[in-house]
Amino acid sequence: MKRKLFCVLLCAAMVSSLLAGCGGGGGSSSAAPATPASSASGDGGSAAPATDGGSGGKTYAIVTKAAGNPFNEKVAEGFQKVIEEQGGTCIVRHPEAATADAQVSVIQSLISQGVNSICIAANDENALQAALEEARDEGINICCVDSKVNKDSRQTFVNQAGVNEIGQCLMEAVYDISGGEGDWAILSATSQATNQNAWIEAMKTAMQDEKYSKLNLVEVAYGDDEPQKSTDQTQALLSKYPDLKVICAPTTVGINAAAKVLQDNQSPVKLTGLGLPSEMAEYIGDDDAHSCPYMYLWNPVDLGRLGAYTSVALVDGTITGATGDKFSAGDMGDYEVVAADDGGTEIILGAPFKFDPANINDWKDVY
Amino acid sequence: MAGKSGRTLSITQESSWKKAVFSWEGILILLFIAVNILCICISPNYNLKNVLREMPKYLTEVFLLLPMAYLLLLGEIDISVGASVCLSATMACMACNAGLPFPLVLLVGLAVGTLCGAVNGFILTRFTELPPMIVTLGTQIVFRGIAEITLGSGGSISLTNTKQFHAMAGKIGPVPYMFFVVILAAAIYMVVLGKTTFGRRVYAIGSNSLASYYAGIHVQKIRFFVFTLAGFMAGVSAIFLTSVLYGANTTTGNGFEMDAIAMAVFGGISTAGGKGKLLGAIISAFTIICLRIGLGQINMNPQVILVILGALLVLAVLLPNLAKKARSMGIMAKAA
Repeated sequence: MKRKLFCVLLCAAMVSSLLAGCGGGGGSSSAAPATPASSASGDGGSAAPATDGGSGGKTYAIVTKAAGNPFNEKVAEGFQKVIEEQGGTCIVRHPEAATADAQVSVIQSLISQGVNSICIAANDENALQAALEEARDEGINICCVDSKVNKDSRQTFVNQAGVNEIGQCLMEAVYDISGGEGDWAILSATSQATNQNAWIEAMKTAMQDEKYSKLNLVEVAYGDDEPQKSTDQTQALLSKYPDLKVICAPTTVGINAAAKVLQDNQSPVKLTGLGLPSEMAEYIGDDDAHSCPYMYLWNPVDLGRLGAYTSVALVDGTITGATGDKFSAGDMGDYEVVAADDGGTEIILGAPFKFDPANINDWKDVY
Repeated sequence: MAGKSGRTLSITQESSWKKAVFSWEGILILLFIAVNILCICISPNYNLKNVLREMPKYLTEVFLLLPMAYLLLLGEIDISVGASVCLSATMACMACNAGLPFPLVLLVGLAVGTLCGAVNGFILTRFTELPPMIVTLGTQIVFRGIAEITLGSGGSISLTNTKQFHAMAGKIGPVPYMFFVVILAAAIYMVVLGKTTFGRRVYAIGSNSLASYYAGIHVQKIRFFVFTLAGFMAGVSAIFLTSVLYGANTTTGNGFEMDAIAMAVFGGISTAGGKGKLLGAIISAFTIICLRIGLGQINMNPQVILVILGALLVLAVLLPNLAKKARSMGIMAKAA
């Protein structure tokens, strides 16, 4: 009996330490749970349009693809900044893993908290539908950034750049760097990443043009957005295709891994794609010592900010997510909701931004 | 039935309230209550309605816990169930998209899961010297591989007609259907384990498989059956998961097997076999689910939640050992 008593005592100690731990940790986030409670009782399940256009007392959530995704973290940062400027409460949630299952739990948890809007970077286009429809039924506004969900699950999508513009841009870069002919390969993220697949499709469509007829796409490799796997895939590409001229990596993780492999090996193969300036600064240059002449990306902070302005506009009723709706995004100017290829609607941030040796030093400290 | 299975014998002994409170299950119930009080204190939105609404996603793992508890009691383990869920869900979605009638879709999901389990069972009972951990690690990769091949380059499939699966995710009042199914399944598993000869044989094999064999128990038949059962439950889990996700992809069911094992071990079931009760495992499952929901509602970083759950698990396996050590030290002190 003594042994069991000891067990009970230890258990009690465990629980109390857990309580203490949460009490300490909860300090920073105590503002978050308090506000939804008050707003949840106020909005009664329907987002009543606020007459003053302000967002005080409202709660806006952003859900990233996974913790540790540098691009998504910057998006969340921009989102949070705008929401706080507008006087709203911001909740940033990272799912447990980069899966749709984990995002479902997060959405469910946000519904419980009675948030006013959810802005999500989806891990799967269709798998979140049931959870997001439930959120809509509770009067929560849904938009997505970076990676979209299907048209039935969202009100609108904040698109970083038109899919076709990106495809065209990257194709032009490959053409320019390769000198107009030769073998090239794509290093992507996971095989089911919605955005990557759309861009790759767009590049393939752009390639139909007579201008690119001498370019030969040898393989689309998948590095799953893991540094090690991306490194392995790059090395595999190099050994499989000795005549390879250019690798195009439309993913921040992939391009970084590939840049390191190419530069360390002093490989003549050149690289372009979509990458973060801070991670890529040491690889960008026009000479042979650098592996990447130039690359593209949009500004994730701006993407997050536009996501925030969109959420605010949805919550206060300025827009409903229908084609033709217009709203003002602070100092970013005015934006319009347009029809998207999948039958839903989207808001396009702008054309991708080119990072070359001339401007990389200005940007590498920004993000 | 002495030694390892001493715990089963103790069930039949006099049952005083002290015994109930101080058993591992009693401690878990206290912990369950403590966790709920904690969650109510830290989250203003932690109420029955919200907890029941958030629960289905987590409940899919409880289906896997039930047969996993049987396997652990047998001294076996199956780490392929997560991949079986993935494969069953994929096939069920394909069947649904092919326009098969709904009962047939469910049957496909269950059959694929059962087949996966039967493959494990067949290999492990035909070649009894193989370690189940390694064999099921292998089949895990095979099942997930088949699912990935079936899913093709897109890596995901979604239902074109969600109507029936949507209906399956319905509720009676605030209580989702899935909750009733879980409770019913748990009750059946508990009765079978506690009240039937089959259940006693499971404990016996887990305590000493060779002695059980000489005592005339069909050890291999029971092992095969329980592995197949684990596959069947993976099918059940897959069907309900599909009703939540409206589809399947290559990451479906990732880590489910480890969560199920963790819940079972936390519930006092020994991985060495023969020791522990299903009731403890079920209470621990709900304790963990409630803790996850509560901590999720205060927007705690998911990595911190994982650390807390991991620490709890280590403590749970450490506690009985620490207590034993404390007691033996006490005896030594008395002797000296």
